[in-house]
Amino acid sequence: MPRRSPGSTQDFEDVHTRVAMRVRGLRPRPERPHLLEVVDGPGKGTRFRLEAAMYELGRGANVSLQLDSEEVSRLHARLTRADGEYTIEDAESRNGVVLNGIRVHAAVLRDGDEVQLGDVVLKYLEGT
Amino acid sequence: MSASDFFVRFWGVRGSIPTPGPRTRRYGGNTSCVEVRAGKTLLVFDAGTGLRELGVHLARNTDAPITVHLFLSHPHWDHIQGFPFFGPAYQSSTTINVYGPKGDDKHYQLLSGQMSNAYFPVRFSDLGARILARSFKGDSVDAGDATVHLFNQQHPGGSLGFRVVYGKKSVVFSTDNELDQLLADKQRAIEKPDELRKLPKELLEPVRNADLLIADAQYTDDDYSTKVGWGHPRAHTVVDLAGQAGVKRLALTHHDPMHSDREIDVKVSEAELRARRLGFEDLEIFGAREGVTLRI
Repeated sequence: MPRRSPGSTQDFEDVHTRVAMRVRGLRPRPERPHLLEVVDGPGKGTRFRLEAAMYELGRGANVSLQLDSEEVSRLHARLTRADGEYTIEDAESRNGVVLNGIRVHAAVLRDGDEVQLGDVVLKYLEGT
Repeated sequence: MSASDFFVRFWGVRGSIPTPGPRTRRYGGNTSCVEVRAGKTLLVFDAGTGLRELGVHLARNTDAPITVHLFLSHPHWDHIQGFPFFGPAYQSSTTINVYGPKGDDKHYQLLSGQMSNAYFPVRFSDLGARILARSFKGDSVDAGDATVHLFNQQHPGGSLGFRVVYGKKSVVFSTDNELDQLLADKQRAIEKPDELRKLPKELLEPVRNADLLIADAQYTDDDYSTKVGWGHPRAHTVVDLAGQAGVKRLALTHHDPMHSDREIDVKVSEAELRARRLGFEDLEIFGAREGVTLRI
């Protein structure tokens, strides 16, 4: 890689950025995790902190987010993270995934969304 | 019974101009673009800015060469502006079929015309993909495993609606269609807005019994009074169309750039109330939202 001459535009921008960070306290903000909270149905009040790239939701013994209800399939849905956003996808469940009252196959979740799996209603709360 | 392999995903649901920002985060700010999967066939309706996001998704999740069947309602900016940023168009392994009415390659020409170097640094002819102008045969065309029918709509300069048929299911994509100009009695709809707005048979037939109607519903009744002739309908008129035509699910789309998420919630809620009041009990209504996939 060629050496940059002193005083190049890049040097200036680096200095400028450092000064801005010192003066204005600019820092990359720490990420707060997203949450899923059971707001209705069995397990009401349970909170799941979302940090992994993928979760499986269901009532089966081997899933990563277990929901204790006969209305929920053993493997009901998957939750995957891309670009900091979680997408929920129906895993061919019997009762489907209902987003804010509408049955969907999949959806990128947004703050305040309510996702119903069987008789379990989960609220999605975005971190940062 | 095996599950259907007919899917619809919304990539852009905004009308007129992209509207990023906190007011529109939930429904999304990208302009018109809908992906339809019929088995292994990929159909795309409109190439608004949502198309860029679809391109990113395809690049991440598809190893095989991509074939896209692209249908444009019309070439206004909010329906073509994403094309120069559609990543797969730069890959030599991609094929893009751009459909237009029989004997008319206007859509192909205007799609490419927006990439003249006064507007964009990469020329259309420098894109790596095979990009082919295709024609409807009469009012329908086979696109992979699906059949697509087209119909004319009411919009300044004209626009096309499309009905996708796959197996026994159908999805209609109908945006930029000022239904209110075509009502049997326009004046009565103004004087008695709560009454059912009767639509002529030729408007009902293309959407008759559709499993999903994705329809432009840009304006509330209040908005429309100052926007007559702009090419977009009242959401309530779209509800009446869907109800009279026996549509099963109605996705209201082409959201007004001035409407926040909350205002869209209100528009959808009022549309639902209207449907119930007029006796369309089985019609399911919701606001189209970026990132949502439906199984048909």
